[in-house]
Amino acid sequence: MIEIYHLYHQYGNDQMVLRDINLTIDRGEFVFIVGASGAGKSTFLKLFLREFKPSQGTIKIFGRDLARLKNGEVPYLRRNIGMVFQDFRLIEGRTVYDNVAFAMMVIGTPQREIRKRVPQVLTLVGLEDKVRAKVCDLSGGEQQRVGLARALANRPALIVADEPTGNLDPGTTLDLMNLLRSINLRGTTVLVATHNREIVDLFKKRVIYLEDGRLIGDEQKGFYARDH
Amino acid sequence: MPVIISGVGYILRETVKGLLRNRWMCLTSTGVVAVTLLMLGIFMLLSLNVNHITDVVKEQVEIVAFIDDQADHHTVAALRQKLADNPAVREVRYVSSEEHMERLSRQLGNVLEGYDTELDNPLLASFEVRAVVPENVSALAAEIERYSGVSEVFYGQGYVENLFSVIRVLQLLGLILMMGLSATAVFLIAHTIGLMVMMRKKEIAIMKYVGATNWFIRWPFLLEGLLMGLVGAIIPLVVLYFLYQHALDWVTASNVAFISMLPLREVIFEVGQYLLPLGIGLGILGSSFSISRFLKV
Repeated sequence: MIEIYHLYHQYGNDQMVLRDINLTIDRGEFVFIVGASGAGKSTFLKLFLREFKPSQGTIKIFGRDLARLKNGEVPYLRRNIGMVFQDFRLIEGRTVYDNVAFAMMVIGTPQREIRKRVPQVLTLVGLEDKVRAKVCDLSGGEQQRVGLARALANRPALIVADEPTGNLDPGTTLDLMNLLRSINLRGTTVLVATHNREIVDLFKKRVIYLEDGRLIGDEQKGFYARDH
Repeated sequence: MPVIISGVGYILRETVKGLLRNRWMCLTSTGVVAVTLLMLGIFMLLSLNVNHITDVVKEQVEIVAFIDDQADHHTVAALRQKLADNPAVREVRYVSSEEHMERLSRQLGNVLEGYDTELDNPLLASFEVRAVVPENVSALAAEIERYSGVSEVFYGQGYVENLFSVIRVLQLLGLILMMGLSATAVFLIAHTIGLMVMMRKKEIAIMKYVGATNWFIRWPFLLEGLLMGLVGAIIPLVVLYFLYQHALDWVTASNVAFISMLPLREVIFEVGQYLLPLGIGLGILGSSFSISRFLKV
C-alpha cells in the first residue's frame, strides 16, 4: 500500500529533515513511528497527505506517486486517508455530530448517507450518547475520539495519527489506542507517530525508528527502545 | 445528482451562515459599497442627462449662412446645391428675408408696431445648415464662409466649443471617478472577506485535510462577496429611484424650459444595467483576492 524509496526532504535551504528513507507498508499493518523530537516524524506523516512534495525520492500510496500528483488530485487522495491530530483540530462551537458529518459533507456525501453513517461511526468510538453534545463540553479523550470518528467517517483505507495521545492521560491513552487496534483488526492500515513508550512496548507492533531524519531501525513486534 | 444537491445545499447554507455570523462586518462593507455605488450612480445619472441635453443641443447647433444682398437667383441656387453636395452637411434649409422678419416680429412683439415690415426689410435671407458631426461645426462654418454668395456666417462661436470641452472633461472625470470608486469597493470587500476567511482558517484547514476541493471551499466565500456586492448595488438603485423622481418633479414644477430630463424608468434601467453587474463583479473580485491566499495547507 505504501512504498517509499530514497526519500529526502528539506524545508527551503534549511537542514535536511528526512534522509534516504526506504520502506514499504502493506495493507492492514499497524505501524508505530518513533523517535526523539525533531527526528522527522511529523514531516514524514505530512508527506502522506501531500502537504508538500518530497525534495527527492518516491513516495507511493495506493499505487500513486505523490510527487507526480496534480494539485487537483490531492483532495481525492486525502479522502482515502483519515488523519488524527495531537490537538484534535475539531470545529469548536459545533456538535459532535456536526464535526463528524462535516468530513462527509465536504466531499458531497448525500444527507441520507450522512445521517446513517455518523451514528455508526460514533458507536464505533463509544460516543453514541454524545451525538448532540458540543465538542467544547467534552473531555480530552472524548474530543480525540471525535477526531478519530471524523477520520473514519469516509471509510479510509489508511489512518495516520500524529501523536494522538499526546494530550491525554494514561487511561484515556490506552482506550484510544485499543480503538485504533480494533479499527486495524477490521482491515484499516494504521500509522501512529508517538513518544509513548508504554503503548509501543505493550502493543508489540511493527516499529519504525527515526533519528535525525534517517530510518535507523524497522522491527516487527518492536519496542520503543531499540536496545530493549 | 444527490451528491451535487448535497454539495450545493452545503455551500448555500455556509454562505448564509457566514453572512449571519459576521453580520456587522458584512453590513459595514455592504454599506460602504452601497455609498460608493450611490456616488457612482449619481454621477451616471448626471452624465446620462448631460449627454441627453448635449444631444438635444447638438441637434440645434446650426450654421446660419447669410446670403449676399447682391446675389442673384442663379448664385443662390448654386450655393444651395453646393451646400447640399457637401458631405459634412446633414441638412440645408433656406430662410427668406421675409421669414426672418416674421421671426423677429414674433420675438419683439409690440416693439415693431407701426413699422412696415414688408416695405422696409433690412434682413438678409440665409441658409440654415446642420452638420453631420456637430463637433466639426466650426470647421464647416469656416469652409462655408468662403463660398461664393455668402455674406456672413454665424454658429454660436465660442459657446459651442466650450460646451464640447465641458462634456469631454465631464466624461474624463466620470471615468476617473468610476475607476477610483470601483477600486475602493473591491478593496473593502476583499478586506471583509479576508477577515472572514481568517476567522475560518481552522475550518478551512480541516476541510483541506478531509479532502474538500479548492472550489468547494471557495464557493461560500465567493457567494458572500457576490451577495454583498449585489445588495450594495440594489440599495443605491432604490435611493436613486426616489432621488431622481424628486428631481424630475422639481424640474417640472420650476418650469426650467431648457432642461430636458430623461424619463425615470428609462434612466434607472440604464443605470441598473451597469450598477448591478458592477456590484456583483466587485464582490466576486474582492472575494477572489482574499481567498486565494488561504488555500494552501
